[in-house]
Amino acid sequence: MKHLLAVAIILVLLPGFVFAEGEYDRELKELEKQIEKKPYTFGGYLEYRPILFGFDKGASLYKLRYYDHSLGDTLFQNNGAVWLEGSYTKGIATLFAATKSTYTDSSIESTGQTILYTGYLSLKPSPSLTLDFGKKTMKWGKGYAWNPAAFIDRPKDPDDPELALEGYVVAVADYIKSFPGNLKTFSFTPVILPEYSSSNINDDFGQTDALNIAAKAYFLFYDTDIDFTALAGGSKTPRYGFDFSRNIGTNLEVHGEFAYITHVKRIVIENNGATRQKTFDGINYLAGIRYLSPRDTTYIFEYYHQGTGITSEELKNYFSSVDKGYDAYVARHDLRLLSRAISLQKGGYAAFTPGTDYLYLRISQKEPFDILYFTPAITSIYNIHDRSFSVTPELLYTPITNLEFRLRAGLLVAGSKNSEFGEKPNNYRIELRMRYYF
Amino acid sequence: MVKLLISLIIGILAAMPVFAVDGAQLLAQIDKNMSPESYESYRKIINIEPSGSKKEYTYFTVKKGKDKIVGLFLAPASDKGRSTLRLGDNMWLYIPNVGKPVRITSLQSVVGGVFNNADILALDYAEEYNVEKVEEASGTEYLLLLKAKTKAIAYDRLKMWVNKSKLLPTKIECQTEANMLIKTLYFKDIKEFGEGITRPAVIETDSPLYKGYKSVMIFAKIKKRSFKDEVFTLTFMPNMESLLK
Repeated sequence: MKHLLAVAIILVLLPGFVFAEGEYDRELKELEKQIEKKPYTFGGYLEYRPILFGFDKGASLYKLRYYDHSLGDTLFQNNGAVWLEGSYTKGIATLFAATKSTYTDSSIESTGQTILYTGYLSLKPSPSLTLDFGKKTMKWGKGYAWNPAAFIDRPKDPDDPELALEGYVVAVADYIKSFPGNLKTFSFTPVILPEYSSSNINDDFGQTDALNIAAKAYFLFYDTDIDFTALAGGSKTPRYGFDFSRNIGTNLEVHGEFAYITHVKRIVIENNGATRQKTFDGINYLAGIRYLSPRDTTYIFEYYHQGTGITSEELKNYFSSVDKGYDAYVARHDLRLLSRAISLQKGGYAAFTPGTDYLYLRISQKEPFDILYFTPAITSIYNIHDRSFSVTPELLYTPITNLEFRLRAGLLVAGSKNSEFGEKPNNYRIELRMRYYF
Repeated sequence: MVKLLISLIIGILAAMPVFAVDGAQLLAQIDKNMSPESYESYRKIINIEPSGSKKEYTYFTVKKGKDKIVGLFLAPASDKGRSTLRLGDNMWLYIPNVGKPVRITSLQSVVGGVFNNADILALDYAEEYNVEKVEEASGTEYLLLLKAKTKAIAYDRLKMWVNKSKLLPTKIECQTEANMLIKTLYFKDIKEFGEGITRPAVIETDSPLYKGYKSVMIFAKIKKRSFKDEVFTLTFMPNMESLLK
């Protein structure tokens, strides 16, 4: 009995010692199973995303989008998505594919589609060389909300910059060389991007069928990432750019992008309502920082100048034209002005941020009030010229592994009539996104 | 008299073995014992909440030389395919489908919990720290006082307790410039990984800044392997899975 008591006391007094052996046996066994290499991978997520739109019925873009609908003040929309991705490797070759199937249902529409986001063959004869053929997203640039130097990527949605982007059909090579010294890395990425509308190959890339040639040269020089990018003329006009990114200290990153775009053509609406085409060389640039405070608050701040964008005056004329077109439709079912406005959307007016100068600020707080895996954030985009802006509070929570909830409320605040955010179709937009990864 | 002098010198030398230890050499040997020159490893990173619930990550890492390390998340599904790269003081995170590799900083954490990026993508200690002083902590342990070489290092000072016979760390206290404790790392379960690699298989950490929380790294496999320098580049990050054997 005494021995038993002694053993019990030792067990109580030295739990760490007694249970230290084999404390992580389960984790180790699991880990050993996970490190078995398979030639294939498969994964993805299921998403359900209901959205409540609160309309601004007086806004120009509401009139443009819903001129032939009779809607209430709000609209509820159900959205579902399945993302599937996988790969298969044999020798130096790997086949990658990712698809997204979406379903949207509301009182005004019910649609579904499946898009191949990426699907390409990658050959890796050595760590220095990779050759990819197929549909791929290139992801150039260093900006968080905008990437003016990413000439062969689809534009990001600055309101949700981390959304996956659909790729283009390309042939790409990546050659990498490392060095000792201040220039640590050099890589060169030439790209061939064909656009042939008749064959539905990259038909939304530009306006002219052509075999487009682009390239990127990357340098890690004095601890700074530097890229030079270029797109030779073809489906789009020639353009040249560079970007950089650098850490300053343990919690501050600075970045920037610059792009020079030649022969930009844009149809604009004059004060008198007439249209004219203007051709010009434009400069787009971005400067930004990412800062982590001692309290685990992350600040992302960017200034974006879009020289190829639409001036406030041009936007104002566009909104006036839409308003006149709507009045003409209501009065006489005359669709001419509205049809012109819809066709102009493709020329840049439909972009989320079509203007020329913006400030972007995102503040996110990691796990406040000791709530684990909870990250609230607030994002604002400010149009410097017309002083309109959007504010988007957001709550992200992953209560259990692989299950993620994100609640966002896009609140649009207008500076004045005919301002960019003042003429967006919604006063607010509340979205709950639930994702389960597998 | 001469004999007395010799005896005195021998006596003094015998009485102060600690001061005979070359701190820099000792730290270099600790680094060598902790990891080979070039290797691959698999580990689990576990964040444990005060309630006992856990979040686990499986992480594949390859390292070359003193300042090159890349990592790839194999699990959970929500993080699978993410890769990280560290080249000296430069760090990047690549998230597939989302965007290009973005720069991250040493005090951020790609996994949350108590470990930050500097812990997960740790370089050789001698690469980042100078030994200021070596003390005898006990009969079995040295205490090394380390000072960061530059302001870019995550922790300004380290207090490292080292097992004298194995020359492996047992505990490290990470401090700010003002000697404020940021976190403590506990090195446990010394294990033979083969090829002459014997080192702690478990690193636990806690922090006065995250009371009640604990994070753990468990190493399952550490194997010598050589890599080309081009593997440790931003351009290679999307291709990290090709390194899995």
